[in-house]
Amino acid sequence: MTRGTLVYIIQRLAIIALTLLVVSFVVFVVVHALPGNAFISQRVHGRTLQLLLHEYGLDQPVLIQYWNFLKGAIHGNLGVSLYIRGEAVTPLVLRELSVSCELGGAALIVTIGLGMTFGVLAAIRQNTWVDYLLTSLAVIGYTVPSFVIAGLGIMIFADFLGSVTGGAFAYSPVWTGTYGTIGELWLPALSIGLYTSGQITRITRASMLEVIQQDYIRTARAKGLRERVITVRHALRNALVPVISILGTTIVGILVGVLVIENIFGIPGLGKEFVESILQHDYNVTVGVFTIFALLIGLSNLAVDLIYTVVDPRIRY
Amino acid sequence: MTLGRPYPGSEARGRRGRWQAMLGVSLLAVVAAACGSTSGTSSSSSSLASSQVLKFPAFQNPGTWDPGEADAEVDTEFMQNVFDNLWRFDNNLNIVPDIATAVPTSSNGGISSDGLTYTVHLNPNATFDNGDKVTAEDVLYSWDRAVALQGPYSSNLSAIAGFAAVQSAAGSPPASTTGSPLNFQQSIEDGLWGCFRGKGTAGATCNSSLEMSGLTAPDGLTGETVQITLASACGWCLAAWTLEGTTGAIVDENVIHNDPVNWWTKPSSKTDGMVGTGAFYLASFIPKQSMVFKAVKDWWGSPKPTLTEVDVDIKDPSALATTVAAWKQGSYGIIGYGGDSGNLDYPTIESIKSSSFAKDLLTQPKGRTTWLSFNIGYPKTGGPFVGESASAIGLRKAFDLAVDKTGLASTVCHDLLCTAATGGLITKGLIGNLGDGQDPLAAYNPTEAKQLLKQYDPTGALTANLTYSYNTGGLNDPVAEYLQNEWQTNLGVHVNLNPVGDASQFISNRLGGQYVMSRDGWQFDYNNPQDWYANLWGTFATAAGANTSGFDDPTYDSILNQADAEPISQALPLYNQLATILQQDVVYIPLYYSVGNFLIQPWVKGAGSNTGFDYYWDQISILSH
Repeated sequence: MTRGTLVYIIQRLAIIALTLLVVSFVVFVVVHALPGNAFISQRVHGRTLQLLLHEYGLDQPVLIQYWNFLKGAIHGNLGVSLYIRGEAVTPLVLRELSVSCELGGAALIVTIGLGMTFGVLAAIRQNTWVDYLLTSLAVIGYTVPSFVIAGLGIMIFADFLGSVTGGAFAYSPVWTGTYGTIGELWLPALSIGLYTSGQITRITRASMLEVIQQDYIRTARAKGLRERVITVRHALRNALVPVISILGTTIVGILVGVLVIENIFGIPGLGKEFVESILQHDYNVTVGVFTIFALLIGLSNLAVDLIYTVVDPRIRY
Repeated sequence: MTLGRPYPGSEARGRRGRWQAMLGVSLLAVVAAACGSTSGTSSSSSSLASSQVLKFPAFQNPGTWDPGEADAEVDTEFMQNVFDNLWRFDNNLNIVPDIATAVPTSSNGGISSDGLTYTVHLNPNATFDNGDKVTAEDVLYSWDRAVALQGPYSSNLSAIAGFAAVQSAAGSPPASTTGSPLNFQQSIEDGLWGCFRGKGTAGATCNSSLEMSGLTAPDGLTGETVQITLASACGWCLAAWTLEGTTGAIVDENVIHNDPVNWWTKPSSKTDGMVGTGAFYLASFIPKQSMVFKAVKDWWGSPKPTLTEVDVDIKDPSALATTVAAWKQGSYGIIGYGGDSGNLDYPTIESIKSSSFAKDLLTQPKGRTTWLSFNIGYPKTGGPFVGESASAIGLRKAFDLAVDKTGLASTVCHDLLCTAATGGLITKGLIGNLGDGQDPLAAYNPTEAKQLLKQYDPTGALTANLTYSYNTGGLNDPVAEYLQNEWQTNLGVHVNLNPVGDASQFISNRLGGQYVMSRDGWQFDYNNPQDWYANLWGTFATAAGANTSGFDDPTYDSILNQADAEPISQALPLYNQLATILQQDVVYIPLYYSVGNFLIQPWVKGAGSNTGFDYYWDQISILSH
């Protein structure tokens, strides 16, 4: 790693830290400004409600509450849940984050695996039925939202397949333990991955078509190299740069997909907290979730920028 | 992917079905390797399955399982299997002994002749799941603590002498600077622990004023007798003290002392965690993910649990489709337990009813009533319904008679999700329900409605720009549209709708009397009319600033006080008088009684529900299937 790269990383980390501060503050102020709170019910009102608000420090000015939150957050303590009274938020969101990372990671593998494979195949079989089929699939992939794919998947693999096989073969939509099983993971991952892989397919195909028409590819062929070596070692590597450039936005797309898919499949990840914690007025959880998502996006974009330097040595920071 | 339970009716499928099956299997051979499993064989028998593990989903997270602070149904549905009260409700909502050896009555000497003193003998075999014996001290501690914490159900103990003094002594919690509630609960715990009932050495934090004077242990703290002295006669108290999972539940002082805030979130152990006296103990709790309860070995009570374990997956309501699919596959034994009987939506129920699973659908009326409240007593909010003038009452009546309640149940609820509320405010099946068709406000008479409107608002000025407010979600949206349509059709009055997305804000505004017309409702806590009449328009409501409609009538209060002091047999006619007062005053428009829907596998025996709660887990067993 060069000194310039190190400085670049430090600069980016500082920007990420600043972003987190802004995000946490804005979200904190906004969620506290929303009408209602976590405690009110037909039974909890009046004095009982006031006692609870006082007990949790929610009757203090919001800036003081934020300052108290920030002091804890710096030490890794995001406070306690208001919905699950007194439950520490940090271990909760970290566990949920790990589940979301598992699902997001699996979806990323599907995205890159399918997207790049289809893209390369479509390029090297340009204007054949393979090309038409794969590009059509890509278009369908990124025009059909992940929740539709998920719904269809459940109907086909859980309901229909279970019905026609008398329950012998079916996707089991139960999530076992914290991380589920591969048998439970594949359909949610595919639902997200199919959607995001469409774009990767298109970019990879376009990029590959440009690269395989370059002189050095012709030279490689003239040297008698095998087609597989030319494709993988010479063409694909150079075609990767544009693909990596959209990886950052793809990861954001996957994160958005995670939000929806976790709800549909009942996966205990961070995604379902986005809506749930806001509806429940679980302020600390909401702030924690948004901040962590901001951190994830910041770090993944940084990682993508660093991968550039590996794939294309001409890029230097 | 493994072999699983055949779907009911699958054997009847013909050759085409088999070909489809083979095709499906072939096409998905690769996927098959990764698929999850379903278990079991073709049919259930009367013999017990080798695995007695029940698994079901919950669509809500627990809020708190601390009986001193619990509020939501989802909490009490679980807590009733972990904690015991002195008495419990049986499946028919009768009060039966639990930790106490008998239900106190005048004839068995449990209640003194003046009705002010209850003598309770504890079951000598009762123990907590960590082995600690239940003594009089545990009862005194549990109830003193619950009162000092001032939770939403502390009023259940309000008739006991010394109640107000303890709440006053507990005071307000110190302001939190960390967002953690530790300070208050710790101070209550320290106050009780330091010198509880004269035990031990008084410490610096000791606060003997946290002890209710009306609670004593005549045979000593380690004895098995508790005496409860009331400040005034109370006919509803026994029912309120019996309410599971709330302030009447008995907790273990030794355990709570170690962690007064988070003790309930941790698995039960000898010295820590959610320790109770119930048939099950908490073995694992992963917030927002899962809970595991295990049967207490050699549990002291009866019936002895057959289930060895109850596994609960915590799901978001939006995962209903996948959850139902999993239930169909046999992965879940029940859907609807844990306070979630209202979660199955109409399309799901219809699809179940038209399938071979129809026989597994259990429909059970629940103790929830929904009505419309008028603003009667909040002049600041205004509206044509304020006050007791003939005009105000006449207009309330007009808007009531213009609504076809039976039509609402069939149009909005498809006669599945609710039934028309024609027997008064109190839900069918509960003490105080007047009987089908007995509530005059349930009548539908558009002609009379129109006449009343013409009489009291001939120009239409009074009823112009009216707004009906409600919290969105569930049946509330279609009900609002139905009401709007009824008033438009039958009265020619256009009522604006004010959907409020945030339920807590809606409740807050409603309790503050900020709406001219609003959705209102109540879910019963214990089977006594006092639960309705006192909490909604009586002393409890007024004291807590929670009287939705602002209805205030000295006659009502006087009769209520009289009724509350009487045993239910004598109180019931008085409570019915209160119903009549509310009806004559047209305080509300009755809308519907809620109906719960459960999916229960045929191999889950003993599961079910009554108006109030799920049947206890110790009644359930898993049959071979």
